Amino acid sequence: MASVSLLFVTLLSVTLYINIKSFILWDQSQTFLPSLSDSVLMDRRFPFKVLEHIFSFVDSNEDRNSVSLVCKSWFETERRTRKRVFVGNCYAVSPLKVARRFPKMRSLTLKGKPHFADYNLVPDGWGGYAWPWIEAMAARRPLLEEIRLKRMVVTDECLEKIAASFRDFKSLVLTSCEGFSTDGIAAIASTCRKLRNLELRECIVDDLGGDWLSYFPETSTSLVSLDFSCLDSEVKLSDLERLLSRSPNLKSLKLNRSVTLDVLESLLRRAPQLVELGTGSFSDELDPEEISKLTKALSELKQLKSLSGLWDLLPEYIPVLYSVCPRLTSLNLSYATVQMPDLIDLLSRCSKLQKLWVMDLIEDKGLKTVALCCKELRELRVFPSGADLDETDVTLTEQGLVSVSEGCQKLESVLYFCVQFTNAALVSIAKNRPNFRCFRLCVMEPFAPDYRTQQPLDEGFKAIVERCKDLRRLSVSGLLTDKAFEYIGVHAKKLRMLSIAFAGDSDLMLHHLLSGCESLKKLEIRDCPFGDTALLENAAKLETMRSLWMSSCFVSFGACKQLSQKMPRLNVEVIDEHPPKTRPDSSPVERIYIYRTVAGPRLDTPEFVWTIHKKPEVGVSRLAIR
Amino acid sequence: MENSNSYSPYSSSSVDSTKPSPSESSVNLSLSLTFPSTSSQRETSQDWPPIKPRLRDTLKGLRLRQRGYHRALFVKVYMEGVPIGRKLDLSTFSSYESLLENLSHMFDTSVICGKRDIKHHVLTYQDKDGDWMMVGDIPWDMFLETVRRLKITRPERC
Repeated sequence: MASVSLLFVTLLSVTLYINIKSFILWDQSQTFLPSLSDSVLMDRRFPFKVLEHIFSFVDSNEDRNSVSLVCKSWFETERRTRKRVFVGNCYAVSPLKVARRFPKMRSLTLKGKPHFADYNLVPDGWGGYAWPWIEAMAARRPLLEEIRLKRMVVTDECLEKIAASFRDFKSLVLTSCEGFSTDGIAAIASTCRKLRNLELRECIVDDLGGDWLSYFPETSTSLVSLDFSCLDSEVKLSDLERLLSRSPNLKSLKLNRSVTLDVLESLLRRAPQLVELGTGSFSDELDPEEISKLTKALSELKQLKSLSGLWDLLPEYIPVLYSVCPRLTSLNLSYATVQMPDLIDLLSRCSKLQKLWVMDLIEDKGLKTVALCCKELRELRVFPSGADLDETDVTLTEQGLVSVSEGCQKLESVLYFCVQFTNAALVSIAKNRPNFRCFRLCVMEPFAPDYRTQQPLDEGFKAIVERCKDLRRLSVSGLLTDKAFEYIGVHAKKLRMLSIAFAGDSDLMLHHLLSGCESLKKLEIRDCPFGDTALLENAAKLETMRSLWMSSCFVSFGACKQLSQKMPRLNVEVIDEHPPKTRPDSSPVERIYIYRTVAGPRLDTPEFVWTIHKKPEVGVSRLAIR
Repeated sequence: MENSNSYSPYSSSSVDSTKPSPSESSVNLSLSLTFPSTSSQRETSQDWPPIKPRLRDTLKGLRLRQRGYHRALFVKVYMEGVPIGRKLDLSTFSSYESLLENLSHMFDTSVICGKRDIKHHVLTYQDKDGDWMMVGDIPWDMFLETVRRLKITRPERC
């Protein structure tokens, strides 16, 4: 036993190699692996069964990637035991290779488009098609139970293929996906008899009506979570009621906006075991009797921990929620257009709250209440309501975030939209909360300096990266010079993802980042004044990262060509919706997306994406798209 | 916006016919700044501030309401004798005339309110007390507060 735990300790202390090396090693090994027999692969001291048992304790994919680099037998054992496969960039590796490498795969997570696609910066038709993956898995891994896709194009054919191919299919989670209609959802609902999770998170769906809900099997379902909050059309109340009555395991239900308030009570009565609830519209008129019935129904949800939806929440309905507040750990008020002081009544009752998403209508006063009452808070997101544009009186300033950073000791993740900021506030925040893991500040006025001192926000962000040693994700904004990025390069050693907009002076900025941030995996930049030199000088760094996005910067076409030629294991994509007729080397490109890959050039690039492999006379391959 | 930063970025989301030529790009000049610097530009910009599409749409609706527009008011509309109804957002109309015009269009017949008429369809509504009333007696704003459903009746019934 002692030798096993020693091995385990050794295992865990193996240096983390980068993802790419794992695939390269495996890629090369493909030429001779099939001929090796099991007995040759068995380690003399630790037989396969023992290794397998040890590896079953290794959950995280990063650790498993490291494990697979130790030696051939560990590689083999690991790949045969991995159940949950994560592919951060669907173009980094081919579906066929992933299917063949992991015979015991039960869950596949894929990400497609770059993150800035969320903000309309990636033109439609760029790519991220799920079909090739689903086709490959359907043919080779029919025991697959879960598919999780983010920012991918999923068609009805994809969904029908999933329904038809995986007999034990249990879980479909689509986040920010598009390309399918409610017909595809109906196919999943009707065919996947063991379905547990059906979650459509912020997808763009061709909504043909609410019939899909009636396609679930008539007998009791095994549903644990159902999220259709992104759909627009109405579902039939009777369908929904009957579904809830026959889904005793349902723990999470997220309705869409068209589910009106008057029917909520009847739904909740049929699902008192809910842990997560996303309501529909919360603004329809109810008479006093209906209100009291709804209040009672909500108070019956003894397990409820998470509340969302609440579209257009009217202040007079806030008391209805009082009974659930003390148990809530997660509250999403992004669509609840409630203002101060009504919000205080709600928030002051949420003493167990860990996650709060809210609009800037909460103002500094509301955040002060949060700082006083929500001592367990770990994550805060404050979204812009646009009130500042109307010059309506909504006072959300940097002070709000300072209060929360003072009062909430466990706060580690922040997304904060604000019109302007100060260095002093950033320094206070950093001093108060050195435990930040994710700090995203969006100063909405581009190039806005510290409004008190008119200085750039360099010193403020310096404080953040100096003090928050565990910072994994950072978004910067406001007026920033190259100095800010020098600080980030020097201090932010654990930083994995960085987003920059409207900042910096020169190529030095990019150079500081690429040469300094050791753990950097994803870098996305828009509207910054540099490109070529730093990019070419730090080309090798790009192979250690998942991806780099640069739009509206000064990257020339010539530099893109040079980079492509120099680095064969990078895909360099120039995305130009309005390319010039002739493209001299010095002409700037609109967008550039660079990512490492072992899959070679994409076959499904649209016309507006240029790569060095494209021959003008060869048309776009349509094989990959369905 | 005055600032000490001197360069000229350009927005990628709009067609920019005044892109700096290669030789100018290295010069420190503020050329056409098409990034969303003013409030009005931020209003119409589709990619700044960086929020997801659904939130962006919700906020558009919110701000329209804050400016004094009525919030969306969907009511069911039935034509007597036809089992399948329609849904209509009353907040998009400013008066009875525009409502009637739209209904006439929707149901392909002439709909009026108020007087009994053997030739035309007459519009009635159910108010918040549950009673069926003739449309047109009360001011439009008050009507919006109280209406719950609409029914277009056959001429003889009124």
